[in-house]
Amino acid sequence: MVVGSHGRRRAAMALRLALLTAGLVVMLLPFIYMLATSFKPNAVVLEIPLKFFPQHPTPANYVSAWTSNRFAQYFVNSVFVAIVTTAAALLLSSMMAYSFARFRFPGRSFFFGLILIALMVPTMMMLIPQFLLARDLHLLDSLWGLVVFYTGGNMGLNTFLLHSFFQDIPVELEEAMIVDGANPWTRYWRLILPLSRPALATAAIFTFLASWDEFTWALTIINDPSRYTLPIAIALFQGQHSTSWGLVFAASAIAIAPVLIIFAIFQRQFIAGIASGAVKA
Amino acid sequence: MRNGRLLKVLALAALAAGLVSTAAAQAKTTITFWSAYSSDGPEVKQLETVIIPAFEKAHPDITVKDVTIPYNDLHQKLITAVAGAQLPDLVRSDIIWVPELANLGVLAPLDTTMPDFKTLSDSVFSGPLATNAWKGHYYGLPLDTNTRIWVYDPATLSKLGMSGPPKTFAELKTMAAAAKRKGVFLYAEGGTGGWNILPWIWSGGGRLTNDTYTKASGYLDGPKSVAAVQMLVDLYKAGEMPNIIVNPNGGLGAYDGIFQGKYAATLDGPWMFAIFSSAHPDTKLAGSLVPAGPGGSVSVVGGEDIVLTQQSKHKQAALEFLRFMLSPFAQRQMAEAGQMPVLKSAEGWLPTIHAYYDTYLKQIATARPRTPTPKWPQIDQVLNTEIAKAFQGSETVQQALTHAAHQIDALLQ
Amino acid sequence: MLPTRSTPSSSNAKLPEARSASLGKPSARRRRDVLYAYLFLAPGFALFALTILYPIVRAFQISLFHWAIVPGAASAFVGLKNYAHALHDPVFWRAVANTAFYMLITVPSQIVLGLLAAVLLDARMPARALFRTLYYLPVVTSWVVVALVFRYLFITEGGLVNWILHDNLHLIPHNINWLGARWTAMTALGILGVWKGVGWSMVIFLAALQGVPRVLHEAAAVDGARAWDRFRAVSLPAIRPVVAFVTVLLVIGGFNVFISVYLMTNGGPVDQTQVLLTYMYRQAFSFLDFGYGTAISFLLTLIVFAISLVQLRLFRRPAGER
Repeated sequence: MVVGSHGRRRAAMALRLALLTAGLVVMLLPFIYMLATSFKPNAVVLEIPLKFFPQHPTPANYVSAWTSNRFAQYFVNSVFVAIVTTAAALLLSSMMAYSFARFRFPGRSFFFGLILIALMVPTMMMLIPQFLLARDLHLLDSLWGLVVFYTGGNMGLNTFLLHSFFQDIPVELEEAMIVDGANPWTRYWRLILPLSRPALATAAIFTFLASWDEFTWALTIINDPSRYTLPIAIALFQGQHSTSWGLVFAASAIAIAPVLIIFAIFQRQFIAGIASGAVKA
Repeated sequence: MRNGRLLKVLALAALAAGLVSTAAAQAKTTITFWSAYSSDGPEVKQLETVIIPAFEKAHPDITVKDVTIPYNDLHQKLITAVAGAQLPDLVRSDIIWVPELANLGVLAPLDTTMPDFKTLSDSVFSGPLATNAWKGHYYGLPLDTNTRIWVYDPATLSKLGMSGPPKTFAELKTMAAAAKRKGVFLYAEGGTGGWNILPWIWSGGGRLTNDTYTKASGYLDGPKSVAAVQMLVDLYKAGEMPNIIVNPNGGLGAYDGIFQGKYAATLDGPWMFAIFSSAHPDTKLAGSLVPAGPGGSVSVVGGEDIVLTQQSKHKQAALEFLRFMLSPFAQRQMAEAGQMPVLKSAEGWLPTIHAYYDTYLKQIATARPRTPTPKWPQIDQVLNTEIAKAFQGSETVQQALTHAAHQIDALLQ
Repeated sequence: MLPTRSTPSSSNAKLPEARSASLGKPSARRRRDVLYAYLFLAPGFALFALTILYPIVRAFQISLFHWAIVPGAASAFVGLKNYAHALHDPVFWRAVANTAFYMLITVPSQIVLGLLAAVLLDARMPARALFRTLYYLPVVTSWVVVALVFRYLFITEGGLVNWILHDNLHLIPHNINWLGARWTAMTALGILGVWKGVGWSMVIFLAALQGVPRVLHEAAAVDGARAWDRFRAVSLPAIRPVVAFVTVLLVIGGFNVFISVYLMTNGGPVDQTQVLLTYMYRQAFSFLDFGYGTAISFLLTLIVFAISLVQLRLFRRPAGER
């Protein structure tokens, strides 16, 4: 009996791995192609039929991309904006989420509803009104202009996410602190936040990725090339009449690295976070 | 005595020089210049390491700040800047946007702003100059120009047993049929917009609109225009043109196809030679004039104009830079980076930089601009959509062009 | 210290009752609580209101005008004419149909495939973290790169997809002209959307599955339930709130598809693959008709809002009921 079920489990695991690997091949195929092309010299065209592996692989595109005009600076700009945005968004959203989760006050449903509805509005529609606003706030042509608007734009999703997680934290824990005379700020800071590390990690990954990849707003408000962010830099590798795709792919591969690092760091927390009910509708 | 006075004069001179230089340093003006020069080619380098330093040396009181924006996003950024009154001093604008920007009132009319406008405008080609005209004024000057010529791979042609490119519509038809028999597309075109189809309509003796750009009916759907488009549609239906004309993203692109020997030729601008020489150095392209039809060999003008914005606070300084960009020195520098100059005087030295410029110069002499109107994007969209229907077969060429002309009439009002 | 899971509340995105941790003393405590509530809410909401709500209001204002872009120029008030124009515009309706089709392909697929991958990964197995990261990779890759590669994959003659289907597996008689016709192009775009998004839903579902208490699984196993029945009876109901959350967000994302269509087909050929946002972009930024463009955006928002309400109603069955 033990042997039989053991064998069955082995077979099940083998099937599992086989299916996952098959799926993985499909998922990675385009990405592998992108990597392969990034190691091809001067690949202005993509061949038909697709050749997966370059005949003479060379890291020239990566060197070119990194040493091109100010690429390292654009990288640093993106890092700065993404980190500050993530920190600010986490702080402000968690405060809002705490308020929605733990307090009853007039207008609660109304404010929450506004946040949900704003999630449904296409961001492109707000481009010009936001531009006029940024101009009036003197935030044009500055990385802070990016931070302010990215943070605002990420409030909705993060608050939604964090609020449902906070709901799952047992009230008794907080009531114990109240008996001890703790005010809401202490409860928030000492109890809720530490317990929500997983959910915060979730929100952090989402926000970091959104800020890292954002292109349109950055292109719109930044005029000083020294303040460009990475997506603009990559777009600049595309010419008006043709594009060195090898260069673009290499630059994109470089751009993926930090996000993967953030994901790798936070992913254990992230998974545990959703497991503990971060995502309750 | 004389030494004493000499000393005093020297001291005064030094003082004056010091004052002047501090004044100059204090009075340094910064002008901003937006462009979509390709940053993966030599254009931006040429601008930033040769042209701008040369200008700043000649004008120590002016600093030029150039901002390179990806071409695909420049128009959107310009419009947003218009909405927020955040335009720079100078813009290298695609010629098709100039009437739109002029109509918005954000460009300065150079013919009244520049005292030397007549001299400058006389020194440039007339086709490109015309792209700056709007409602009786000129809102810019041409900066670089281009046109489409018949670019082909002679090696592919000789494999097909052909001695040279087609010179007339008739030759085009017979050569395309012969090429098909050998499994090659003679001519590939990647779309049905104005840029793609107008050279054929014009060479066929047809017109898009009347001379005053107020009416398309009777012109776009006239017999010569119809015949020209019909010729292309017949080629497509006979399988002698690839499907990318209706479906630009669904097939082998023109460059890829020529490189792989599946296509023999396309129409394109001078950048194609530069791109191939860096990406496919083994393919040696050649150029010839657009095959001539009943209207001759007439191609379409492309390029960029340099415009000055109304909101610029440093118009005089900006105009200095504008003049510099139109000087033979700067034009020549950019020509070496692949930007075809607009100066008539360039005819002398341009072919010495690249031989293919010779054909381009000949073609530019008769090339026509697309309709200069703020509504050009809509008109182009109409052409794109309706002509594609003729290729797809859902309408006859006459029907498609009549529908298009009708819609364009409304847009031209 | 893992918080204990409270009884599964009925899943809905509306605000469930806040568990206000107030003891004793009524009104003074109450007033102070409300004050604290506003204090916690204020900074974030102020930023949100400034950078998001206010521009939305301005955008709505623009949609009521024939908007003149240049500051200071007079804009003509047209009321709801832009909206009426959209409702009479055949290309608008085509865009609605295309967007809906795209959503119908991408949303169920991402849910099913994401769930499948999550189920497969929900076991102690080698290289689990590696699989997780690699499945998430498409999510973080840039759209520009991905759209280009997919364009080449779907090329009619010689693209990988046709090469597999036609030349190798002989599943189709002729090469499919993927990007050349409306529904095949939308399908190709849908495949791209699913490919790019499945990692996101997979990660969320995986975590949700891992949160289902082992106790429940073991109890069901003792009762003799097989894997599939255990999944249906234990896992699915437990993760129902998560499925609702993911569905709502995927629908919003599906309707907001833009960059992939813009890069792959740009609405062509012949406007056959326009989706709502590509059409809006063209109206606003190419034709400079911002009034019309923003009207289209608001109609999109309205549609998404209506669908979300329906979804939440559908998902809101009390947990006890099957």
